[in-house]
Amino acid sequence: MQYKSQAVAKPYFIAAIGLFVGQILFGLILGAQYVLGDFLFPAIPFNVARMVHTNLLIVWLLFGFMGGAYFMIPEEAETELFSPKLALLMFWIFLVAGAATIVGYLAVPYATLAELTGNDLLETMGREFLEQPLPTKIGIVVVALVFLFNITMTVLKGKKTAIATVLLIGLWGLAVFFLFSFYNPVNVVLDKFFWWWTVHLWVEGVWELILGSFLAFVLIKTTGVDREVIEKWLYVIVTLTLITGLIGMGHHYFWIGTPEYWQWWGSIFSALEPIPFFAMTVFAFNMVNRRRREHPNRAAVLWALGVGVMAFLGAGVWGFLHTLAPVNYYTHGSQITAAHGHMSFYGAYAMLVMMMISYAMPILNGKAANSNKSQVVEMWAFWLMTIAMVFITLFLTAAGILQVWLQRVSDSPLPFMVVQEKIAIFYWAREISGVFFLIGLILYITSFFIGGDKKETA
Amino acid sequence: MMNALKNPANRAWVVLIIATLITWYLGEVGAAGTAAIVAMLVIAFIKGRLVILDFMELRNAPTMWRMLLEGWLILVSSLILLAYWISLK
Amino acid sequence: MASTTSAPEEAPHSKRLPGDLAIWIFILAEMLAFAVFFSAYAFARAGNAEMFNLYQQTLNRNAGALNTLLLITGSWFVVLAVQAAHRDDNKGVSRNVALGILCGAAFLAVKVFEYAEKFGAGISLSTNTFYMFYISLTFFHFMHVILGMVILTAIWLQARKGAYTSQNSHGLESGAAYWHMVDLLWIILFPLVYVMR
Repeated sequence: MQYKSQAVAKPYFIAAIGLFVGQILFGLILGAQYVLGDFLFPAIPFNVARMVHTNLLIVWLLFGFMGGAYFMIPEEAETELFSPKLALLMFWIFLVAGAATIVGYLAVPYATLAELTGNDLLETMGREFLEQPLPTKIGIVVVALVFLFNITMTVLKGKKTAIATVLLIGLWGLAVFFLFSFYNPVNVVLDKFFWWWTVHLWVEGVWELILGSFLAFVLIKTTGVDREVIEKWLYVIVTLTLITGLIGMGHHYFWIGTPEYWQWWGSIFSALEPIPFFAMTVFAFNMVNRRRREHPNRAAVLWALGVGVMAFLGAGVWGFLHTLAPVNYYTHGSQITAAHGHMSFYGAYAMLVMMMISYAMPILNGKAANSNKSQVVEMWAFWLMTIAMVFITLFLTAAGILQVWLQRVSDSPLPFMVVQEKIAIFYWAREISGVFFLIGLILYITSFFIGGDKKETA
Repeated sequence: MMNALKNPANRAWVVLIIATLITWYLGEVGAAGTAAIVAMLVIAFIKGRLVILDFMELRNAPTMWRMLLEGWLILVSSLILLAYWISLK
Repeated sequence: MASTTSAPEEAPHSKRLPGDLAIWIFILAEMLAFAVFFSAYAFARAGNAEMFNLYQQTLNRNAGALNTLLLITGSWFVVLAVQAAHRDDNKGVSRNVALGILCGAAFLAVKVFEYAEKFGAGISLSTNTFYMFYISLTFFHFMHVILGMVILTAIWLQARKGAYTSQNSHGLESGAAYWHMVDLLWIILFPLVYVMR
């Protein structure tokens, strides 16, 4: 570890992995509820389990991003963090707020939670992915701003590299677009319109900048390729991301009451969204092939290559499948969307955070890489989780195609619940893949405790 | 004058200007239908190729890059031609 | 087809891609975007040719042609700037880049008048499919002209410091390639949207 203050990243990473486990457990509960409708009812109804599953995902990724930024920024800026104490304080605030929110979801009915947390003062609850009670939302803003202040000050007093700048733009964008979660117009069209300004502009906009920046950082460190070469690629990827991602938002505006031209704009620009992901794949493989040295941390390199491939497949290819308006007319809100959601979040962001953890954790523990034995287990975990996710995606895609066919395209369309029964076999297969994913995740956690001198990781 | 025309960029500029005026003229006289469409596409193709070879200076670039750009031009012109052919049916 | 020009005047040198690889990747992605847009226009028109032909008549063809001339000339100045750099003619570089920027500015001015006329007549993206494409395509291109001018301005500032020489013209060539792409796209766009029917 080059800078002492990088150590604050460690609790963030540990919390991220812990919440990740929670997310997967709730994913398994949800998967079971698809086929056994009253599973765990009334203790954990479907809507609550879904909310916990998606909210935990967002929160653990945010922990991962923050941890990654705290680890990366001092090294890029070549100076200690502006305030490590502030970073630790924010960690506890964020963790407690996050945990309290989840407990709230599980302990009381959602409507009661809304009442208790002052949703009457400013109505922000009840919207998919942005279900958090008002105090939590305000907490996220405070934590994000303090975090941004901390790393921005660090960059300002140190070196300003392109990689750090891209990360800062991404993180500031993340904070700014979250503000739209407070804007909740009565008009349903406007409501949906601006809801996407948080949801889409996060995952298909500013988060991709974070992705590009983290990937570039780890590639520089592990391959030894010249910074100028990597930065040039980063510029190209960032520009392509912004052009396709910003206007590509139109693919969410097809059927919500917006003008017709969005069908063209959305179709054309979002059809191009795979390009930056493809560029990222080419970038990752190109840099690894041109490597100037063999980094002892082979697991981190594997994660980096994995991000490139899986982000392109999940976000790029699976997104393109149903992004054109004439196709989306039939597939909108079907299991195809779920398939795309699973593989893109895993491929682009879950793997990204695990890449960062894989690279940073050994260094935080005072060594360049984990022992060979530990890395072998980690790579097994990589393959197990990744292949399980591929199967989850394939089964959901099959379910989705069948669903669209039986329920929407067919001359004699069947009712929703009848179709759900007919595709149950795919839900079972998905659930089994999910169990393998969990085994992969357990293996991943186990890898932290194997070999090496220090074992206090978790 | 002849000296100036030795520069391929200058020659390309002259051809591009004349070609633009021809397209404009075709529009002014209300040219339409198969012959007009093909003529305008051919003119656009020649113009595009001049820009690629003499302005972007890809005449002496690695073959792959020349092919990529010229291929783009061929692809776009063919697709447009196909679509217009469909519309005339 | 383009046999009007022969080999360049300088002695043939080894095969070389002018400018930076990254800018060419970027140019290709941009051209792919426009290819999709052009095809979308052409095929949308195929389903509704009469309507497209009717409203195409309302466009200002003279403005479109004038803009073509401006972009071609702007591109030509930038080629001359690159040639000047290869001759180590510092003044020539900055003068020609400045002239290129001026052509871009004139293009924007013409376009603004054209838009003012159309928008003044109450035409919007929602008027009909033809105008939707006309506005989207030309506006998307408009933004590219602006980006091209920003790049050229950055180059001009460098050029005035004498940054581009026969030894180091990489940055200039990269910016020039982008500017020519803006030209190339308009060369397809003008006949497609303004004239062909």
